[in-house]
Amino acid sequence: MESVKSRNNVVVSYLIAGGLIILVMIIFGILMLLSQGGVLDLQPAAFYQILTIHGTGMVGASAFAAAGIMAYFLSKYVDLSKNVLMTNLVFFLIGVVMVIIGVFSFEYASSWTFLYPLPQLSANAWGTIGALLYLFGMLILGVGFLLFYLDAGRAIIKNYGSLAKGLGWDVISGKKAEADAPSSTVVASTMVVIINVTALTVGAAVLIMNAINVINPAFTVDPLLAKNLTYAFGHIFANSIIYMGVIAVYEVLQQYTKRTWAVNKVFLIAWTMSTVFTLLIYTHHLLMDSVMPTWMLIMGQALSHANGLPVLVVTAYGALMIVYKSGIKWDVGSGLIFMSMFGWVAGVVPAIVDATIVVNQVMHNTKWVPGHFHMYMALGACAMIFGFMYYLAKQDSSIKTNAADKFAFVGYAVSIAALSGSFLVSGVLSTPRRWATHIPEWMGPALFGGVIGVLAFISVAIFVIHFIRFIRIRSKTVPGTYKKEQLA
Amino acid sequence: MIQTIAWVVSLFFMLVVTAVFGIVALKSTKKSDYTPIKKKWYKARTFYGAALIVLLLAVSIYTLRDLPYNQPVYSADEEPVVVDVEALQFGWEISQTEFKVGEPIEFHVTSQDVNHGFGIYDEDMNILTQTQAMPEYTNEVYITFDEPGTYEILCMEYCGLAHHLMTAELTVTE
Repeated sequence: MESVKSRNNVVVSYLIAGGLIILVMIIFGILMLLSQGGVLDLQPAAFYQILTIHGTGMVGASAFAAAGIMAYFLSKYVDLSKNVLMTNLVFFLIGVVMVIIGVFSFEYASSWTFLYPLPQLSANAWGTIGALLYLFGMLILGVGFLLFYLDAGRAIIKNYGSLAKGLGWDVISGKKAEADAPSSTVVASTMVVIINVTALTVGAAVLIMNAINVINPAFTVDPLLAKNLTYAFGHIFANSIIYMGVIAVYEVLQQYTKRTWAVNKVFLIAWTMSTVFTLLIYTHHLLMDSVMPTWMLIMGQALSHANGLPVLVVTAYGALMIVYKSGIKWDVGSGLIFMSMFGWVAGVVPAIVDATIVVNQVMHNTKWVPGHFHMYMALGACAMIFGFMYYLAKQDSSIKTNAADKFAFVGYAVSIAALSGSFLVSGVLSTPRRWATHIPEWMGPALFGGVIGVLAFISVAIFVIHFIRFIRIRSKTVPGTYKKEQLA
Repeated sequence: MIQTIAWVVSLFFMLVVTAVFGIVALKSTKKSDYTPIKKKWYKARTFYGAALIVLLLAVSIYTLRDLPYNQPVYSADEEPVVVDVEALQFGWEISQTEFKVGEPIEFHVTSQDVNHGFGIYDEDMNILTQTQAMPEYTNEVYITFDEPGTYEILCMEYCGLAHHLMTAELTVTE
């Protein structure tokens, strides 16, 4: 049996890598907004390179840190392979380096969507080497994640019999009592295994298709098929971050409130709904492709609306119930965890609105889209990650939070809410997303977002510094061999 | 118009969410037994969940009645103007760019190279409608201009380093 410290070292590595990359990505986000706001002169080539690295880096780093959360809690119920966790870490770092070199040394700038055949047809902006470094970097990164989810799936099947049982289908069908249902961590992890093995396989396929097309343009792919594969991969993988992060919400709030988060049939049905909907609703990214089968687009809208139900009726409602009159003693970690549920639910509102076809007709690819996803990714998923970092630091060391940490909590909440709001306002003003330059009418919200982004950067820097302080204290207080009981 | 409705609806529900989380946070430090709380709020959830399902269902059905993909029904003496649009890095080839107020227009949009987006903006730079411009496929978008003026075409899908320069103009007269 591996020592708990050894396992936590890997988790800590995931979190610090994720946290540092997110911090750097915020700088890139600020630079783009200041440039769009007219106060910084970024050349278009530099802008679109930064755009590419910002989108790829934010999703990749958040997913990596969230995988650390999943690994930390899931390993309390099943035996995960440490070798696989380490392999994922190594693959992640190799992939990150390749993507960075491809983008900044070889001027590759397809944005994270790498929509076929843009990687090959760049109008001479970048060459084969840059495209291949990015595409293979993403592929290596994806393979690392895929190994992690396959191992998690293996471990769940070994302990619970099947992924269906991991989702609690035997409880839903009445074959097993609710009292014997798998824990919320196992249910959420099973869901993530199912959706991400699918997403990463699809992503690998479309990355390889693009890579072959870059090497040999005579090899072509159906552009609509490639678009479907790209958005299936991107949508599912990005959404999985919050489903991994929410594991921390279940575990931490139960501990802090000393109440039990019941895993009952309603809970299990909600997670099955989330599994199915998350796999199917990527078509809401293709609502402006009328050549798509109409039933798929109607399904994209209807199921996107329905996908709000599990979180609105079960997960967020459960978080509110468990906290309500619980006598909880708040700290920065639990505060971030609770706030993350707010960010998720608040972000779902403009997301549902945008998934409505008649609205999407005027909001698609405007800044409304980053408006809603900054809300539920930054105020939701990333708040879960930062909240977990504080939780872990408190569990594993004697570190205390200070006034700076409290300031960062407030600063993060205010800045991300304001940033998301500025994006939504830009969307209302019909500002197209992914534009290097803005007309004067569009500059105000962009400039505001860039300025308020500085507060977000300071806040996240404080979160990360706190975590680095924890790592230093931990390495000093627990040198060499380590007693299990000193850990969470 | 649609943008305003989307904004007001979103803002309203986001404020409701803020209020609910705020109230719960304020009441969180007081301690009460969990069993009666669960009993009361599980019961409330049944009504809340049902209301939400009805609301989302109603919104879905209402908004799905008239989709932009459907070709409008033209009267017997009405013939739509069919315009071929081809996008390319980084410009637009449009078979016709001058139109009359009130005439129905069908834009048949495709691309020579990569994915682009065909967005039609009015003189106040509000987007009116859009579709994707894809290689090997032709997407259709239907519009009838109500006002004379100069309308802008903007690329709505990232297509390379001069994406933001990919614009064109349509002129609409009385």
